[in-house]
Amino acid sequence: MGKVVGIDLGTTFSLVAYTEFGQPNCIQGPAGTTLCPSVVSLDEDGQVVVGELARQRLLTHPERTIYSVKRLMGRGVEDVREELKIFPFRIDEKSKNVIRVRLGGGAEHRSNRGERVFTPPEISAFILRELKSWAETFFGEEVDRAVITVPAYFNDSQRQATKDAGTLAGLEVLRLVNEPTAASLAYGLDKRRNGRIAVYDFGGGTFDISILKLKDGIFEVQSTNGDTHLGGDDIDNLLVEYLVEKLNACFEDRQPLDALVRQHLRKQAIQIKHELSVKETVAVHLATWDLPQGNHGSGADKLQLSFDLSRAEFEQMVEPIIERTLGPVRLALKDAGLKPAEIDEVVLVGGSTRMPLVRRRVEELFGRKPHCELNPDEVVALGAAVQADILEGGVKDMLLLDVTPLSLGIETMGGAVARIIPRNSTIPASASEMFTTAVEGQTSIDIHVLQGEREMARDCRSLARFQLKPIAPAPAGLPRIEVKFLIDANGILTVAAADLHTGREQKVEVKPSYGLSEAEIERMIEESFTFAEQDFKQRQLVEARNEAEAILKATEKSLGDESASLLGAGERAAIEASLAELKAVTTGEDYKKIREVIDQLNQATYHLAEILMDSAVQATLKGKKLNEV
Amino acid sequence: MSKDQPKPTTLTPEGAVLLCWSCQAPVGGDAFCRSCMKIQPPAQEDYYLALGLDRKLALAAGDLETRFHEMSWKLHPDNFHKASVLERTLSLKQSSILNDAYRTLRHPVARTEYLLRIEGARREGAKKQQAPQDLLEEVFALNEFLDEMRMEKRAGHAVPEELAGRLKEAKKNFEAKLKKVDDELTATFGNWDALPTGAAAEAKKPVLDRLNAILNRRSYIRNLLEDVQEVMEV
Repeated sequence: MGKVVGIDLGTTFSLVAYTEFGQPNCIQGPAGTTLCPSVVSLDEDGQVVVGELARQRLLTHPERTIYSVKRLMGRGVEDVREELKIFPFRIDEKSKNVIRVRLGGGAEHRSNRGERVFTPPEISAFILRELKSWAETFFGEEVDRAVITVPAYFNDSQRQATKDAGTLAGLEVLRLVNEPTAASLAYGLDKRRNGRIAVYDFGGGTFDISILKLKDGIFEVQSTNGDTHLGGDDIDNLLVEYLVEKLNACFEDRQPLDALVRQHLRKQAIQIKHELSVKETVAVHLATWDLPQGNHGSGADKLQLSFDLSRAEFEQMVEPIIERTLGPVRLALKDAGLKPAEIDEVVLVGGSTRMPLVRRRVEELFGRKPHCELNPDEVVALGAAVQADILEGGVKDMLLLDVTPLSLGIETMGGAVARIIPRNSTIPASASEMFTTAVEGQTSIDIHVLQGEREMARDCRSLARFQLKPIAPAPAGLPRIEVKFLIDANGILTVAAADLHTGREQKVEVKPSYGLSEAEIERMIEESFTFAEQDFKQRQLVEARNEAEAILKATEKSLGDESASLLGAGERAAIEASLAELKAVTTGEDYKKIREVIDQLNQATYHLAEILMDSAVQATLKGKKLNEV
Repeated sequence: MSKDQPKPTTLTPEGAVLLCWSCQAPVGGDAFCRSCMKIQPPAQEDYYLALGLDRKLALAAGDLETRFHEMSWKLHPDNFHKASVLERTLSLKQSSILNDAYRTLRHPVARTEYLLRIEGARREGAKKQQAPQDLLEEVFALNEFLDEMRMEKRAGHAVPEELAGRLKEAKKNFEAKLKKVDDELTATFGNWDALPTGAAAEAKKPVLDRLNAILNRRSYIRNLLEDVQEVMEV
């Protein structure tokens, strides 16, 4: 078995961490940073690029690059309509309850080559694979298991999608841990304290609040709440709109800003946001020549727009977004039966908590200064690594008791919802329900399972439809089928049924409302293998060609050397034949053949190399420098 | 919406001796085999048993939490990560029952409801619940008043201050009544707890009936309060 890691699969950044001797650490990538941008790009050769390189391609190839894919996990097209207005996701027309994102193929830029369609779990799997390879490079051995974090307020489908992403990346997902609770593990690690803590987790795309009770190593979540579509992204979008307005005011003939310009503005907006966390005022320069052609105002080739943006102005702009986090906080406190003053400590997690306004609002609400000594970017990944260590038996004196964020219910007559497991129940949690038939000879029973707090099924999140089938024909109301609903420690639902008359297990057919079926996942894993093979071949081909080119150049140069006249005629002919053959195969796609001919050429030039060597030695003896030979 | 608690399912016929799945030693419904220490299937989905408690109603919150934490350390799936598939499944079952038990028994009302259910004595009022006799007049007045408020709101009128004041008054009144029922409930706990273990059905019945009546009255008042709340919020 390989190594185990903890992974924070974030909206903006993802991180990977491990625990050694009880101490969690984040692992650095090749660029020397622990943050891997959650950006995936498809290059012109159909190769997938992940992380920092992909992020750079946001500016050069926005139509081939996707960010914030976490927002699409476990969701259907209808769920993200609003988002699509702001995010440049290109959704395949055919997608319904599983979104399919198109990368590449946009008519506006470059070639149509290599367009591919991916589901969000597949894109997340690319990010996970990247982190896996970081960790494997670090350990020098295989990494095959991981604890992955999810927003506490993620529903069943979003959790399942995350788990699927892990499977697709070749990782056994040992546990999904809620982000704020993971943070509390990292936070509580060296403090060993008892009391009530609130974890305010405001990240790139999601907001979570969790209230925990710490007692002698048990981290018991009392309540959790949040918004899986509220984060720093929303602030960026707001700022981009503001910059767009500023620009538009300067141009007489407005043209719609294309994806490329938006990405430029977005990059600038993020920078402004970051600077305003430390500075009172930022000087903003928007120069139109920074923008790609086609978006200049008519004749205004060199329009320059400069203005100051103060923190106060910025805060006024984003205040409504910060305000939206406070509602869930109050609800979580209410569910925990606590007043803000009863919270002993407040912990801030997520990059968005760097904003002074967020800190002020949180401090006002709880009446105490929040903790922010831990790096808000890393703390979730560190916590995931701690949980991984707990599962591996390393840490024995900590136990996390988490809750399910949403009530589980089943649809009853008239479309109402009967709640069977209330929100904030400690997981694993279960419920049993008895079902019977309504008409004589009925051979199947349909059960519709939902998640949410609303009274009517149509207002809740449909999780799945279960069919109890076959049921032995009997008079109406006679069959007694007990269905057990179980939410496991990952917050994922499983269902089992038993026929109480026969005592036998009753078959249940599950149709998930959102997400991938097992067959689809299997197919994707297979595809990813062939895809990985393609990647491998592609890389081999590029490397072989580069090598061939270098050898071709060097050999041709050597043949022109005066000492090459010492070669026999047959030898020279053999070298030239090999050279011609190598030139021919290099234009082909077969990297093995290229390598073969390279070897052949190497053999043919063996004597030539010796001659050159000798002449070099002679030259040195004559006082010439080696590189002059 | 409140839902029925699952009835405890007897998994073994009465009088049968449970044997450990691993070493065949007899296990008397314990979570772990005393001879080989392996985790066992839950003998019964009994919330009191899950927490190692007698069927009493007056439970100290602190004691309940301590038991819950103690059992969690032992049963939580985290501990069985490297164990066999069977043991992992058993831990999942055991810990889910433990969590369900703690969730139910920690709240006095849910606890009473659960006890009545496993004693086979829970009788909910008819669907259209009848107002308790002594409340009839007040309830009638309240409902009339609530209807009036709803009509005003539907017509888009601002609620006159006088009516809003009366609404607040009504809320306070029924909140006081709810508090009184809750006190009555906890006061009755002693009657149940005083019965000896294994008391005869005739001895239990009057106490259980009384508890049942209190719960029905409580749920009636709580529904009224929810109505008031709803009108205040809209």
